[in-house]
Amino acid sequence: MKRYLLSVLAVVAMATGAAAPTAKAADPYAATQLWSNQMAAQRAWHGNYAYLPYGQPTALVVPPNVHSRQTLSWGVSQNLMYPLNHQFGRNATAPGALPAGSFQATPHWPSHTDQFGVYYVRGPW
Amino acid sequence: MRIIRFLFATMVAANAFSSAARSADVEPVEYIVSSQIVSDEVTGSNTSGGESISGGSCAPGSACANRNGLGVGGVGRLAGTGAFASDLVQGGFAGDITSGCVPRTYGYPDLFYNFYTQGNCNATNAQMYISPVPVPPNVGHTFYTYQPFMPHEMLYWHKDRFHNYYDGGRGMNHTKVHYFGPPVRQAASNFYWNKLRIPR
Repeated sequence: MKRYLLSVLAVVAMATGAAAPTAKAADPYAATQLWSNQMAAQRAWHGNYAYLPYGQPTALVVPPNVHSRQTLSWGVSQNLMYPLNHQFGRNATAPGALPAGSFQATPHWPSHTDQFGVYYVRGPW
Repeated sequence: MRIIRFLFATMVAANAFSSAARSADVEPVEYIVSSQIVSDEVTGSNTSGGESISGGSCAPGSACANRNGLGVGGVGRLAGTGAFASDLVQGGFAGDITSGCVPRTYGYPDLFYNFYTQGNCNATNAQMYISPVPVPPNVGHTFYTYQPFMPHEMLYWHKDRFHNYYDGGRGMNHTKVHYFGPPVRQAASNFYWNKLRIPR
């Protein structure tokens, strides 16, 4: 009887352990968020190219739990992966849009995904 | 209120806000935020902020009740500054704060507020809404007045809670929302896209 109870308990423990959500972020002090804020404060969210339909660098909103971005480029081993730090926030920031022509247009033969002028920015939590 | 909505995998695009560049010929965009006027302009707007009270002092015991309602300085007066919303602040409601009258408020969370790119090294900044497609300034603007329905909440699987304090903090409306997708269909989709699909 005792062995039977123990085995039942083991089965129940295994079942509940398997059913529990496993992918918990092991980041209780939100250190990655701090890193992201620091990195985003020191880097621009955009590159040097404007998205042609708008004439400005254009932010593509991605989910806030996105970690990284991939750039594809012409040439050997220039497909790079970067952390995606920038996130939309509540503070209104300056400057706004620059005059038209402040950024380069997409070349006729683009050689890098940044040249399309669309850059990822994570949405707010 | 429990809202079951599918997790949209849509990526909404937002453009760098072009209204700031054309501010010479376009009125600055103003939003009603908690019955105050908050301008989108960062600097250089004299109508921003709710504290700019021009004609709001009413003596105790005088026509306060009339001013609180829709009478002298209330909604009915549309002349003057021209904008209905700025009349709301300058004419009657916010001006009664100074005399001890409780103003009529419309909830403490913002009715609409935009989100902006952050950082110190940006040569230009982008606002998140209007999404997914920005429109020219002469077309107009759309507002999401109910925060749980804002599209950026639909981007990922999460839970969120929204609080709305009213009546000077005596009342609170609490909304908990679960954003998730159908698990079986999502699992099948992942199995197809990650295992079965031929890479090409």
